[in-house]
Amino acid sequence: MIRRALGHLLRCKDVSRLVSQAQDRPLTRWERWVLRMHLSVCDGCTRFDAHLRFLRRAMHRYRD
Amino acid sequence: MAEDFARQIESHRGYLLRVAQLQLRDRDSAEDVVQDTLLAALSGSGFAGKSSLKTWLTGILKHKIVDAIRRKQREPTVVSAFGDLEPELDIEDFDALFKDNGAWETKPADWGDPEASLGRREFFDVMDFCLEKLPPNTARVFMMREVMELESDEICTELAITANNLWVILYRARMALRECLEKNWFEGKGRHA
Repeated sequence: MIRRALGHLLRCKDVSRLVSQAQDRPLTRWERWVLRMHLSVCDGCTRFDAHLRFLRRAMHRYRD
Repeated sequence: MAEDFARQIESHRGYLLRVAQLQLRDRDSAEDVVQDTLLAALSGSGFAGKSSLKTWLTGILKHKIVDAIRRKQREPTVVSAFGDLEPELDIEDFDALFKDNGAWETKPADWGDPEASLGRREFFDVMDFCLEKLPPNTARVFMMREVMELESDEICTELAITANNLWVILYRARMALRECLEKNWFEGKGRHA
């Protein structure tokens, strides 16, 4: 219950931006924490996160 | 022996040209930097065989492209070419992907085991297709970050944009690529063909 509430401190729309920015800058402690909370209750964003990580690996492979 | 090396280098011309063109969005400058790269590769003795020839060539190309971008930046006419980043900064067009309450309109799909795709040539054809569909400057910035692996602050300095603008552009590129790959590979016929 509490975890669910904490997980929704951020909306998916904001989380998706944070997930992207995590690839370009170090997130703050707070950002990392709310992100982790959200991912633990949201499978859509968890997939999105995995997809962006995969995209980065694919681009490195594309180059090599 | 030297002839052999030249032939091997030459065989990567097509790939280098594709990367350069995505980056510079201009056939002539792309051919110039690739030519410079091949010449530098032939005259230098830098190839130690530790990395693949292609990786080594990409490394040289990266420097040539950065030089070309710097040169362009100094030409006032071309600086304005980056003025058209503005329309590409409009992030609101992604609102359709989310409901009013900020939740996903359509959740990202299950991609199964995406790693397997990395071994497929056809996957990278789809990737090319998706990259080509990005707005030109968005693709350029994305390639600087993901292919040339420039750091955020380097790109901001090169292009004279703010960090926030950079993040918006990269977000936009990733959102569009993710959706395009999902539609045309992971959920399309591509993966199973």
